[in-house]
Amino acid sequence: MNPLTGKAATMDEWLQLLKGHPEIMANVTHWQTLPAKEARTVPLPAEMDERLKQALGQKGISELYTHQAASYRAVREGRHVVTVTPTASGKTLCYNLPVVEHLLRDDSVRALYLFPTKALAQDQVAELQELADRMDADIKTHTYDGDTSPAVRQAIRNAGHIVVTNPDMLHSAILPHHTKWVKLFENIKYIVIDELHSYRGVFGSHVANVIRRLKRICRFYGSEPQFLCASATIRNPREHAERLIGEPVQLVDDNGAPSGEKHFVFYNPPVVNQQLGIRRSSVLESQKLAALLLRSGIQTIVFARSRVRVEILLTYLQDLVKGELGKKTIRGYRGGYLPKQRREIERGLRSGEIRGVVSTNALELGIDIGQLQACVLNGYPGSIASTWQQSGRAGRRHTSSVTFLVASSNPLDQYLIQNPDYFFGRPPEEARIHPDNLLILLDHVKCAAYELPFEDGDTFGEEKLSDLLEFLAEEKVLHRAGSRWYWMEQAFPAHNISLRSAAQENFVIIDMSDGFRVIGEVDRFGAPTLIHEEAIYLHEGVQYQVEKLDYPEKKAFVRQVNVDYFTDASLAVELKVLHADRERTTGAIQREYGDVSVTAKPTIFKKIRLRTHENIGSGPIHLPEEELHTSAYWFSFSEEAAEGRSANDMQMALLGLANVLIHLAPLRLMCDPLDIRVFPQVKSPHTKRPTITFYDRYPGGIGLSQRLFEQHDELLEEAGRLIVGCGCMSGCPACVGPIEEVGLLGKDLALGLLNKARGME
Amino acid sequence: MSGGLRERLARLKAQASSAKPAEDNGDGSGQEGGGVPNSFSQRESAGATRSPADDHALHPAFERIGVRQVDNSHGSFLLRTIPYPLHYAHGLYELGALMRSATRLGPVALRQNKKEEADREPELDVGKLLFLDTETTGLGVGAGNVPFMIGIGFFDEEGEAFVVEQTLIRHPGEERAMLFHLLGRMDGRTHLVTYNGRTFDWPVLVNRYILNGWRSNGKEPGHLDFLHPSRALWRNTLESCRLSRIEEDRLGIARGEDVPGSLAPELYMRYLSDGDAGHLEGVYHHNERDILTLVSLAAHFGALLGGDEPAVSPPEGAEELYRTAAWLDVHGQSERSERLFEALIGREDAAAWRWWLPAAARYKRLGRYETALPLWERAAVRAERAALPSTEAHVELAMYYEHRAKDYGAALGYAEAALDLALRRPSSPREPKRVREERDELRKRVERLRRKLARG
Repeated sequence: MNPLTGKAATMDEWLQLLKGHPEIMANVTHWQTLPAKEARTVPLPAEMDERLKQALGQKGISELYTHQAASYRAVREGRHVVTVTPTASGKTLCYNLPVVEHLLRDDSVRALYLFPTKALAQDQVAELQELADRMDADIKTHTYDGDTSPAVRQAIRNAGHIVVTNPDMLHSAILPHHTKWVKLFENIKYIVIDELHSYRGVFGSHVANVIRRLKRICRFYGSEPQFLCASATIRNPREHAERLIGEPVQLVDDNGAPSGEKHFVFYNPPVVNQQLGIRRSSVLESQKLAALLLRSGIQTIVFARSRVRVEILLTYLQDLVKGELGKKTIRGYRGGYLPKQRREIERGLRSGEIRGVVSTNALELGIDIGQLQACVLNGYPGSIASTWQQSGRAGRRHTSSVTFLVASSNPLDQYLIQNPDYFFGRPPEEARIHPDNLLILLDHVKCAAYELPFEDGDTFGEEKLSDLLEFLAEEKVLHRAGSRWYWMEQAFPAHNISLRSAAQENFVIIDMSDGFRVIGEVDRFGAPTLIHEEAIYLHEGVQYQVEKLDYPEKKAFVRQVNVDYFTDASLAVELKVLHADRERTTGAIQREYGDVSVTAKPTIFKKIRLRTHENIGSGPIHLPEEELHTSAYWFSFSEEAAEGRSANDMQMALLGLANVLIHLAPLRLMCDPLDIRVFPQVKSPHTKRPTITFYDRYPGGIGLSQRLFEQHDELLEEAGRLIVGCGCMSGCPACVGPIEEVGLLGKDLALGLLNKARGME
Repeated sequence: MSGGLRERLARLKAQASSAKPAEDNGDGSGQEGGGVPNSFSQRESAGATRSPADDHALHPAFERIGVRQVDNSHGSFLLRTIPYPLHYAHGLYELGALMRSATRLGPVALRQNKKEEADREPELDVGKLLFLDTETTGLGVGAGNVPFMIGIGFFDEEGEAFVVEQTLIRHPGEERAMLFHLLGRMDGRTHLVTYNGRTFDWPVLVNRYILNGWRSNGKEPGHLDFLHPSRALWRNTLESCRLSRIEEDRLGIARGEDVPGSLAPELYMRYLSDGDAGHLEGVYHHNERDILTLVSLAAHFGALLGGDEPAVSPPEGAEELYRTAAWLDVHGQSERSERLFEALIGREDAAAWRWWLPAAARYKRLGRYETALPLWERAAVRAERAALPSTEAHVELAMYYEHRAKDYGAALGYAEAALDLALRRPSSPREPKRVREERDELRKRVERLRRKLARG
């Protein structure tokens, strides 16, 4: 019997046992131990309301952590505050204490709480209600979202002290109907924004504009609320908060919460095919580690990157521990589960009845599931901040915990696993927003005008508002009368504007071989080339042919086949530079930043015989062309750097380099990998040279390529390190790409070009 | 995808320098009060917004339409006033007819308003009704939907005429003055008479008052909203419950050439962009007709509820007959209701059958089994002859004999017949769950009755 699966008395004991297992330790590339931390506390503030002190006492709280006390003070002083602390550090008290205390003093005060998801909002209401009950205080807290019944809505509008909602609801239901919320807006003193870090990228840019609208409405009703924000650890919490709410903010980041010793283990699945650089599946390895933990009686959370992965891992794990643990003790958790089911799982985790949970990043946010002992990350979550957040799910205040990061074979994971310093030595990423993206801004200027006419001299964001208003008046959306600008269209603007980017929609792949079974998903941008009709789609090593692609419904229907070819689709991408704003030359490389237009249309696919790679047929692809105007950053190689290379070699070198860079870029930008795209050209019509272009995958751009432009040098340096550090022979999916794509010399060519250009600086 | 917008944004950039600062036209004038109005009080002094256009002569089309500019402490707007003599007939009803029947609408008001408000005004006074219909720039009741025209109507103090007033704003800056005018008109009046005004016109107006700095003082006007009564009667019998349909089919009003209300926003936008008041002629006309129709509609319901003349003849259609009877019943007119129910059950035509059962249900509720029983029996006979029979009459009879008459033999007879009927329906795997459940229910009933009979 494997001693690792016997019940271990403590986490430390289990870790000792683990270290005695060479077949596992062989794959451990790094083991970091983070020491335990003592709590730092201060007595409850003397001026705090006695009722509140008593209620806290009943909960066993007789002192405050330093960060809780600091934020309490800052709020009392009337400042806007952002509190930054890790998971499970008593963050909600940072804002609940001052708000509830004010409500005890003055019953007419109102507060608005914003959470990114409904589930978090419901948690919060339960917590506030409990606190109010302990004090026997009549504090009415309600969630206001799509599930709220019409009868209750009326009551909330008139009498709710604390309204808990989400940005989408604020945008489409509350602000456009603000006249029904007179009580709230006339008396609003606090706006609480929790999970501030989740408002980044396109979503964050929208939310920043919703907040601009919210402030405008508050001003109309004569109130000027304080913003109390809380965020997980990011590099720029204060800057981010200030950009999001448009006000100076005091930062509270002196975390006084205790934590136990934490072990962070990097685990790289063994190589099974040296030449192709293929490693054993990270799913199987994650499952193995999770099973070891669960069988030892250690409560464990497994994070996977997609819904489908969650389901696959869950099925494996439930099978694996069948007979030892009940099926109900290991559960899945992801978007798409019913709220009731989620609540039940959260309760089970807190009580300890549920021993294991497999989740998407849905559990990364602050939903209360108590603290678990172990965490297994199936693949790098995509950002340092996310990784710490997910890992923070394991870690009790006084005992040890462990996190395994199981690398997949994608280059980003491989880079990290080979460069632990990159992860441990670096602060988490910045959260970026670009609220003045013209398209986003215009959308919200419309919504704002609907809510309240604009007046000459008003401002809204950084762009010149009068220009935007003129523009909308020309479009006959606004009407100018005297010094005011009125909404003058039949439509209800908020209905057509969604805060969440459409890029989140994936195509699901449905296997029809035996009934209908979802086997995987492909992102929207991969769909045209990967799952067009007649494509051969590989999944877990099995071949499927796509029989029907339902483009509007985002479904691909496939059937299992056994053929000796694969398909390769050509995507005709055209990239046109519209305008270059900035330019810089260092040595052999010239880089620019500006606006581009990108059109992409899949044209034909080829059938290519396995092994011999001969072309044995082709067919057309009928899918619509997509056009995108966005911002971009591109760099090109001088003639000297390029000389001596055939066009084909240059093609392979650029392609290899682009493959590496596109995996590194999201790391630097803390964005979803789908938010930024790359496009190599042997001879770009704009620069007339070999060029690699990055562009934001969102109309109008969201500031990502601009950041890359600024970080160009570091980016290339990292790319060089990654290629050199990769253990494959001539290119693999973990670096420049598989040899099928970049040829047998791909790795050398890419590195050669990079070194030559950099050597010429 | 965004190509068009890009170009526009580029154009926008090019124009960045051409935006001129606007002249300040707010004259901040006049807070001389105007009596404390009905539902709202002004929260803060707010100057009227005036635009240069205000002082120019009116567009010639406005002259033709017959409007004048009104100035009050909140600015100016345009007003059109049309007095109608009381004997003016708008369709079947003279406007004055309502003066005699308005009090009969009390039960309608009672059902539509909160009890305490209804109690405050126990008697409806025709002079205290304000007929209201707005034309708005958009749909829905969001904060950005602007009523650009408010049509109102009322019986003048002397009781000699019915006056229609239509306000129009030449731009949204005139809204405040228009709203102030409406407050004056609402003063002293108890009910707004509308068609869907309770959920549309009034909430939209509330938004506008709040946006213009007024705050509710908690008093809500009473509502006499004829959408709900109209739906109760004509839900299925008219092609739609739009006012124009009801006018033509039930009130004897022929609109002739009329601009449909749905076009009003677009016509107003056109007026805003080129200043040609000619676009609005049709809107004025349409809105005026709507106000008059509200009077006719009120008169119609008043007549139904017992206004003495002209007597409304009972509806011809069986469904409308049933619905009218039921509506009168809940509005406290049991005698009139009874007469209509009698007419309904006295009819043998196919259209009337399906209403026998709901009528019987009423008699059952009232405990009048002597009337319900023959109705069920007649319905049962019809059902047995039908191609797709309903079992409802048989079930009612089975229940009656089992629980009231305690005649298990008769009950079993009807239950078995009902089961036969149910089995006669072709069964298919796609049949609704309800049908299957009904069959199972019947089987249980038959078994239970057999047991009861066996026990003797």
